[in-house]
Amino acid sequence: MLTITLEALIVPLFVLGGMGLLLGLGLAYAADVLKVEIDARIEKVIELLPGFNCGACGYPGCAGFGEGIVEGEVEQLSLCKPGKDSDYNAIMEYLKSTPGPDGKIVEVKK
Amino acid sequence: MTWTVFAVAIFNAMLINNVILKQFLGICPFLGVSKKSSSAVGMGAAVTFVMVIASFVTYAIYSYVLVPYGIEYISTIAFILVIASLVQLVEMILKKFSKPLYKSLGIYLPLITTNCAILGVAEGNISNIYTNYGSSGMWLAVFTALGTALGFTLIIFAFSSVREKLESSNVPDAWKGVPISLVVAGIMSIAFLGLQGIL
Repeated sequence: MLTITLEALIVPLFVLGGMGLLLGLGLAYAADVLKVEIDARIEKVIELLPGFNCGACGYPGCAGFGEGIVEGEVEQLSLCKPGKDSDYNAIMEYLKSTPGPDGKIVEVKK
Repeated sequence: MTWTVFAVAIFNAMLINNVILKQFLGICPFLGVSKKSSSAVGMGAAVTFVMVIASFVTYAIYSYVLVPYGIEYISTIAFILVIASLVQLVEMILKKFSKPLYKSLGIYLPLITTNCAILGVAEGNISNIYTNYGSSGMWLAVFTALGTALGFTLIIFAFSSVREKLESSNVPDAWKGVPISLVVAGIMSIAFLGLQGIL
């Protein structure tokens, strides 16, 4: 008959939990030390993109495309092939209504 | 263990049992990040960093935590935990100190987490080295990982250089892009078969 001791259940739990806690704390510390200030709009625009990471726009993933839009490198939102009109409009409206840290507004075509 | 053992381990892992061309691990970044040789070298450096440190840490965890408690069966999930944390760390470092490289690696950088080459080396160290040497094989494991990572970097760099040349060469329409690259990868793999049996 198969018997399961309490120890056999608890030990792996504690080992993995302890490792996770240690590594997590280490990463939290590293994130604090290596913090980079980024434009808050970039994150919002990435959120508004479809998020397929298909690469059809020519950027490596949606994060790169979103950054490109906010930095004014991207000329047309329709480079994003899976994007629909509603996605493009949402991004254009958001960028129109939100000026950057330097007070400038990003203009981008559909 | 003498230096010859380490040298042989590096040479063996780098050229004879090359991780990409012989063991077919880590193919995703091999095909994904090999369009430009500069980003290929960056990818190789990131993989080297993660692979060497991950091998060291996973070997230590296996021999000093998992074996004493008799819970070797959770090695895979414990190793993934270590690798994922290291990749997060590399991502932060690159974002802080090398923005262009961070951009050119894109989605392939977080994907190192699921790169089978790294887990493959960590698990291979356990099954090949730990079973023979026990916890004293730690440095051998680290040098094996270093050799594997150097082999990965060498091959991804060579492959990206070939792909850069292919861009400007006259390839038939149906073969342009990925198909001809896959043929190149196959020929490289056959070429490396010639190193078989040296050691």
